[in-house]
Amino acid sequence: MKTLPTNMSSLFEKLNDLKTIFKFAEKVVPIIQSLTEFMKEVVPLLENINSSIAESTSKIPMASNQINNVTSATELATTEILDLVDEITTNLETSEKLLNDIILNSGSGIEALGKLQLLLKDKPEALKLLKDYQDASNHSKQIADLIGYVQRSRTDTYKITLSLQVQDITAQQLAAVNHLIQSVHLKLSALVDNIEQADLGDDVKNIKQHFGEQDHYDPNASYLNSEGRQEAVDKIILNQSSKTSQEEIDKLFG
Amino acid sequence: MGLKFLVVDDSVTMRRIVTNSLKNLGYENFIEASDGKEALAKLGIDKDLNFVITDWNMPVLSGLELTKAIRTDPSTEKMPILMVTTRGVKDDIIEALQAKVNNYIVKPFTPQVLKEKIDQILATA
Repeated sequence: MKTLPTNMSSLFEKLNDLKTIFKFAEKVVPIIQSLTEFMKEVVPLLENINSSIAESTSKIPMASNQINNVTSATELATTEILDLVDEITTNLETSEKLLNDIILNSGSGIEALGKLQLLLKDKPEALKLLKDYQDASNHSKQIADLIGYVQRSRTDTYKITLSLQVQDITAQQLAAVNHLIQSVHLKLSALVDNIEQADLGDDVKNIKQHFGEQDHYDPNASYLNSEGRQEAVDKIILNQSSKTSQEEIDKLFG
Repeated sequence: MGLKFLVVDDSVTMRRIVTNSLKNLGYENFIEASDGKEALAKLGIDKDLNFVITDWNMPVLSGLELTKAIRTDPSTEKMPILMVTTRGVKDDIIEALQAKVNNYIVKPFTPQVLKEKIDQILATA
């Protein structure tokens, strides 16, 4: 009859275990209850976050389009400015030509006045009047000054043209920003996809294809004074061209 | 025979700026292309073209790919190529030199630099 006490002892052990479990459950149940409460509160919040992300994600293509619109608008405006600058340049060239014609034509007038002076050499009063007229009608200095102004204006209009390089550089910077925005769009779409476990595969694929097509910009484009940058480029080119080729080195050691 | 330039850039603005600069330097003969593919087509048709000024970042066919294509075609392999680009990183410049561009200008460029580089290329051609 040894088995009965052994069984009883085992039973008590089991009961003790059960008691421990109950005690543990007493402590754990409130935690589970609060966890359930917490989940009840959090799940709608997560759903909100999910819908916010989904909403933001859906707005990103609009932002991307806006950036493309800005690029198109600035390109159009720049073209209009360039048209005007070209027109001004043409007008300035014509003005300069006309002013030079005036100087050339004034030569024949001076010659005629010289002849008239000779004819009037015995009439001092007439000569004085002629000299006064000559002084009053001599605009050669003003015309020379005007030509100078016209030439400076032409140089300035060309400087305006060169400054418009900023449009191309800005367009590349905007394209880089657009690429970043679309990368965020891709990530968020994938996140929404994971949360909802919805099939956004095609959308994501489309976005990826779109990225490949957009890859023709320089993210580091900068409208800085290029002098220093060009000097750096020239140094690299010089170093590269003066480098001894591997073939030449091999010949030396051959 | 005088110089006839092919100015390749996807930006209308940049093409006009480069052609205006060429005019200012006294060069009157040039045509334009908006990407590398169009440039190759024009090089195939117009045999008077003897100088290429190209951007790097372009859709369809980039300036670097255009350079490589020009260098592998026996009829254009000796064509002078000047790259005018915003890319000023050393690795890019080396990549362009390896593709055998004749010279390299970073945007924004000045007319003096453009003249200097064209003259340098012509002197060594």
